[in-house]
Amino acid sequence: MEIWYHNENPYPFVPQDVLDRADSVRASLPNRYCDPAIAANLFEETLDEFMLCDDLGINVVAIEHHAGINSLFGANPLILGILARQTRKVRILSMGTLISLRPDPVRVAEEYATADVISRGRLDIGFVKSGASEMASNNANPVTNIERYWEAIDLVIKTLQHQDGPFSWEGKHFTHRHVNIWPRPWQQPHPPLWAATGDPDTTSEVGRRGMVNVLVLRGEDGTKRAWSAYRQARAEAGLPPVTTSNFAYAALAYVGETHEEGVAIGSKLLWFLNTSLKMAPQYAQFLPGAMAPQFAPQVYRTKPQPPVRSDKETGAGKPVVSAIQNVGGLIGLTAEQAMARQILFAGSPDTVYQQIMDFYTNVGGFGHLVIIGRSGFMTHAEAEKGLKLFAKEVMPRLKEIPPRTVE
Amino acid sequence: MNDTDPSGMEWLSVGNSRLEVLRRGQGQPVLLLHGMQNIDPHAPFLDFLSRRVAIIAPSHPGFGHSPRPADFDTVYDLVHLYLDLLNTLPYEKVTVMGCSFGGWLAAELAVTCCHRIDRLVLVDAFGIKISDRETPDILDVFNTSPQEVQRRSWHAPEQWTPDFNAMSDDAVVVRAQNWESLCLYGWHPYMHNPQLKRWLHTITCPTLVLWGASDRIVEPSYGCAYSELIPHARFEVIANAGHHPEIEQPAVFVDHVVRFLEA
Repeated sequence: MEIWYHNENPYPFVPQDVLDRADSVRASLPNRYCDPAIAANLFEETLDEFMLCDDLGINVVAIEHHAGINSLFGANPLILGILARQTRKVRILSMGTLISLRPDPVRVAEEYATADVISRGRLDIGFVKSGASEMASNNANPVTNIERYWEAIDLVIKTLQHQDGPFSWEGKHFTHRHVNIWPRPWQQPHPPLWAATGDPDTTSEVGRRGMVNVLVLRGEDGTKRAWSAYRQARAEAGLPPVTTSNFAYAALAYVGETHEEGVAIGSKLLWFLNTSLKMAPQYAQFLPGAMAPQFAPQVYRTKPQPPVRSDKETGAGKPVVSAIQNVGGLIGLTAEQAMARQILFAGSPDTVYQQIMDFYTNVGGFGHLVIIGRSGFMTHAEAEKGLKLFAKEVMPRLKEIPPRTVE
Repeated sequence: MNDTDPSGMEWLSVGNSRLEVLRRGQGQPVLLLHGMQNIDPHAPFLDFLSRRVAIIAPSHPGFGHSPRPADFDTVYDLVHLYLDLLNTLPYEKVTVMGCSFGGWLAAELAVTCCHRIDRLVLVDAFGIKISDRETPDILDVFNTSPQEVQRRSWHAPEQWTPDFNAMSDDAVVVRAQNWESLCLYGWHPYMHNPQLKRWLHTITCPTLVLWGASDRIVEPSYGCAYSELIPHARFEVIANAGHHPEIEQPAVFVDHVVRFLEA
């Protein structure tokens, strides 16, 4: 199993009364509440954690989110550029430049190829569908998001692979008549590809394409549902089975010297769920395209109604209502609830190892574990201490688990 | 025209599109292009208006129960669909009336084929850019809280804000589909065509620009400026009405329209 470290670099230092009054902590919270001096310190600490990971042999993940307290990583390629140069050993996963928000996927491919060359082939490319508040922050039509997502992926892959002079792309959403990037990527034909998604429609396509599917905070049921769709789609398409290396799970995780310490400090990670997910209804259930319209009776109404009829087809490629309910269901969890749902692994080295292995067994195995190891008010020192303990006491046992074929 | 639905709606085939159409009344034909929601067949203004004219009110593809063909997703598609519809109708000329988003379509039709249009009525219409680049003319209904959108939509929001708890499943699903389709067609450039303003001077048919005095989705000053770009257009304001004067003040609304049609 491969281990990855993920810190979204959130900005938790907005007064609580401001957050309580705001209808959304993303997209619309004025940036006067973001002190650039504090932000600079947070970037420095987070980048130092990534450098520590390079020493410890833990791969690193750079994400992208826009305009909110949940993450200061609005410009993924910049972070990627720093990591490509400053780390020396570990792999770097961009998860990712939000491609359906960018007007030209060719530029994204160019940035990825550059980072892959600077890092001498240590780049993994992750594609994230984005959503909700990101649409407002980026002027991106939410209804056609999934169309742009797949077309952009196709164009990025072709741009990375093509070596025979300019080619032309006149797609539905992207036009670029003269594509010929320099440098081409270090890894051939292109760096490994990941996709972060849990909805069965998208996961099926991720499966047919053989990309690594990373599930973020989905727990056992959501993870099993997604990976089952992945495998079934491959089987139906007549494609060979894949190994556990095609599956990744991302969870909040913290290792303390004792179980109690691990849980106490690890519970600080719940800030991500309890504070940074607050979104106004126009960025959630009322966002056009956020769900297939047949789920609107469940979601628009404020009073319970009989279950919606399910005689209509799901909108092709659209997230179903479970995506919104998944977010709603994550807010307000205690550490015990989050651990029971297997979205938080916390405790001593032994108990964390056991929690991870229980989950591993329950979902049928996975080849990558992404640990979200710092969030909210957890300090830099606490994060580094947890990382060192994880690397020393837990990681060696996990790395012994070889990939195996999953039917 | 063909089969009639039990709900009183008819289905009309135009090219490859099947449109749900409400037809009511007799007399001079009025093509009514709806706004952000499809036409409610129970809206009182339809009965008032249909005493004087023949209403032809299609649901745009993706609105109401009209299916949206694959890749039919631009205002360009809608304008050409309705040009095709004008050719399908057995009238040399029709009056075109467009509300809100449908007003944008009506203005595009008038610019494109004024010779087929008897008279033009624009009601709280979208479609053009009036103010400077840092002043939005039209409220961003997608990035504004639903409560604020309702507050700015109506003169009396407490009376007209939709109650999803009281609606049938079908009605709620239709509203969600309408919302998605509106976003698809109108997201960018937001609810307008940057080129349309330049061509409004070519509209030669008599035009009435009608506005709710309390409209704060798009304010009456925008309507006034719109009317000044169309030769000989009349601009009239309806008191105690917001973005939907046809709903909030149906009798007064129809009086304005009928006076214009009979002038």
